[in-house]
Amino acid sequence: MNLRLLRFLALCFFLIYHPPLLAASKPWSKLTPLQQEALAQLASEWDSIPEEQQQPFLRLAKRYPKLTDVQKQRMHDRLKKWSKLTPEQRKQARDKFRSFSKVPPKQREQVKKMVLEDEVDEATPMDASGVPADSPTR
Amino acid sequence: MNKPTDMNTEKIKHLLNRSITQLDQPVLAKLRHARDQAVARHVSRRVSPALAWAGNFSWGHSPQKIHFWAAALLVIAFLLGTATYWNQEAAESDTSDVDIAILTDDLPMDVYID
Repeated sequence: MNLRLLRFLALCFFLIYHPPLLAASKPWSKLTPLQQEALAQLASEWDSIPEEQQQPFLRLAKRYPKLTDVQKQRMHDRLKKWSKLTPEQRKQARDKFRSFSKVPPKQREQVKKMVLEDEVDEATPMDASGVPADSPTR
Repeated sequence: MNKPTDMNTEKIKHLLNRSITQLDQPVLAKLRHARDQAVARHVSRRVSPALAWAGNFSWGHSPQKIHFWAAALLVIAFLLGTATYWNQEAAESDTSDVDIAILTDDLPMDVYID
């Protein structure tokens, strides 16, 4: 058996089980312009985020170019709040999202419609009687 | 001159059948040596039958075999490590897909957060 091959395999094995050696620290200034655009909401705190927690955001940034403009805007609006969630809260959110994805499309659309209508209602100012201020019945 | 191990069974039998007193010392020595070798081989075969599957593997006798087995173990560990790594990568990729879907969904993110 070639001893050089043995050493090479041992080195590969060592590197695989020690990913931190390969994962380079990524300060904000070292991010690509595209990554900085995707993660702009985190610019001020990026350098204080632990390295292992930076990785999920970098993976999000990788998917950013494929988003539509509307989706990009939503991501910018939500990213800050998402970064403040605990790992447990994020896990619960993912579980809920996965569960909701399994609901038949028709029902899912109905739920979405209801939620969005509720959101509009909450955003619309009401008068004392509970009727929306800009309602045509007034 | 033949080595003791070169003697065939019939010859040994023939010699043994003759009176020991008729044998001279060199022949007796050859017989004793052949017997000792046969007993030694027999004992070594009986001691390690469990290792027969490994081709009578012996740590002490062949450094090449040690290298072979070390490399085999390393390759197995390497393959397991690679499989674990790719599984982890796949899981992280799936998580990122869900994360980006939540962050860009029509529904507000709060719907999914307690």
